[in-house]
Amino acid sequence: MIDDIVHAGFVMTTPVLLAALGGLINRTAGIVNIGLDAMMLVGALLGLMVSSATGYWALALLAAGMGGAIVGLLMSLVVTRLEANEIVVGLGLNVAVAGLVRFFLKSTYGAAGTLSLPGVVMLPRLDIPGIADIPVIGAILSGHDLLTWAAWLMVPVTAWFLARTRFGLRMRAAGAAPQATRALGLDPLFLRDISTIYAGFMSGLAGAYLSIGVVGIFNEGITAGRGFIALAAFYFGRNRPGLTALGALIFGFFDAFQIRLQGRGVPAELVQTLPYVMVIVILTMVAIVLRRARARGGA
Amino acid sequence: MTSDAATTVMQPSGRAWLRSIGEALLPLGVALAIAALILLVSGFDPIEVYRLLLVESFGDARRIGATLAASTPLILTGLATAIAFRAGVFNVGVEGSLYVGGMAAAYVGFAATGLLGFLMVPAALLAAVIVGALWMWLPGVLRARLDVDEVVTTLMLNFIAISLTSYLVNGPLLAPGSANSATPMIADAARLSPIMPPSTLNTGFLIAVALLVLYAFWSSRSALGFESRLTGLSPRFAIASGIDVRKVIVGMMLLSGAVGGIAGGIHVLGNIHRFVAGFSPGYGFTGIAVALLGRNSAVGMLLAAILFGALTTSGATIQLFSDVPIEIVNILQGMVMIFAVARFGLLVGKGRP
Repeated sequence: MIDDIVHAGFVMTTPVLLAALGGLINRTAGIVNIGLDAMMLVGALLGLMVSSATGYWALALLAAGMGGAIVGLLMSLVVTRLEANEIVVGLGLNVAVAGLVRFFLKSTYGAAGTLSLPGVVMLPRLDIPGIADIPVIGAILSGHDLLTWAAWLMVPVTAWFLARTRFGLRMRAAGAAPQATRALGLDPLFLRDISTIYAGFMSGLAGAYLSIGVVGIFNEGITAGRGFIALAAFYFGRNRPGLTALGALIFGFFDAFQIRLQGRGVPAELVQTLPYVMVIVILTMVAIVLRRARARGGA
Repeated sequence: MTSDAATTVMQPSGRAWLRSIGEALLPLGVALAIAALILLVSGFDPIEVYRLLLVESFGDARRIGATLAASTPLILTGLATAIAFRAGVFNVGVEGSLYVGGMAAAYVGFAATGLLGFLMVPAALLAAVIVGALWMWLPGVLRARLDVDEVVTTLMLNFIAISLTSYLVNGPLLAPGSANSATPMIADAARLSPIMPPSTLNTGFLIAVALLVLYAFWSSRSALGFESRLTGLSPRFAIASGIDVRKVIVGMMLLSGAVGGIAGGIHVLGNIHRFVAGFSPGYGFTGIAVALLGRNSAVGMLLAAILFGALTTSGATIQLFSDVPIEIVNILQGMVMIFAVARFGLLVGKGRP
């Protein structure tokens, strides 16, 4: 029972964590990406299609990542080159891409919202001998696929990237001080484009995780707003990879709980609101702390 | 970020009128062009599809009625968005106000049966106004007092509103004997009267247009209208002029939420006659597109709302007559939204300013 919940919690964390790490880099470089959900949706569809067509999950992941990256690039170009407001573009992208995906499903497969394809190869799961049988620890460490491991590996890598590498520092500069970045001969808009492409790639992977890692079919509602939960996660973590991962983990466990609670008399709808309520609470608390600190410094 | 975004879509001054029409038509043109490309690739004739869309939305009186009916919630969500935008508040939470407002109106509509008949509609709409406004109180106060980013809080509140109302209609307020997530039907006396039968157009449209007219006067003639615009254009100048910017921000958020609540209330009282879980196909978000495309002006928003209303009704019917998926409408809506905030001048200009 506990093992099941723990395992499901980690499974539900992976897509949120992947997208949140992408969105975190994006926001660091100066773009708040509200279109993550759209990129996830594209990744989920492409992942399933390529997995079914080729029989290779690695190719499916690549296609999903690339698909998300292309959507990210398009979004970024409108934001950086046409100076469009990123929030509006992100919201519009969600509407347009959801429409495009349903349009494509209908006109190509004659399918209404759900796509089930033959010969889909799922992501392989890694059972670790010895550890798999240990209670709780086995549920945490064993039986996950490569993408889950990759997502958690990316947490320290992202922290190191932003703190220690030249490229990471440039990303931060592009977000915090675009003028200074330009003065140094760098192009902040180009850096922002790269960061959005990366966010799209990660979100595409997150989508593929849902379609060929968890369920094995595609549905227009497959992301269930996880792109927005990812946004909540990096706002919760205030752009720090470790805290963002913690946020994603908490939300992943909420998700797992909520699935279990369905049909047990506990209103799942109320559990679903928790991640969003938490973000508002956290943002408020952070603002109060900052204000107190400022007041003390000023006095 | 947020105040910049809102001020760039401010209402243009008189002389820039012609230019602003061009600026509003350009995103529409680009969106139509991209959608045409998608249609072509999928083997449809875009010109034929667009002709059908036009005929189906404005072809005769009944169709015009349906188009205006579909534009009613969009006029109101656009207006709600514009009210916040003017004050420099980037409220993307109108969808949430619409949900809780619609729920409140439905509740009064089926539960307050002791009321005199002619009081039902005002009471239900009042409930929608109060609940819708209160829903925006928290993000307004958080922004005004603590500078908490309202984009994130209002976005989060949308999801909370959708889940919360969905909980209510699946639990405490579920219609007895009903399997689907809906409240009982509202009393006959609480329904808005049709004004153009057999179309679904009802007095809700008149209320929406009346509010739009009020807004036009309020924004250009009243002190608060001026103060809110000043707050949006330059908060620091507004403070220096002795305007209580915090009060204006909270007030505009409450007003924005109130109008969003009315949007939900009218949709319930005029169209679906009860609250159903997930009852909005994104009216709040389309409202953002309406406000942007209409450049916050009353006439502009009316035209933009009718445009999106036309897309909604005609999209539903062309699917019956041809095999063009209705989703072409969503694609168009999303694209218009994206390009409504793009500055195409930068493409022909000499690089960045």
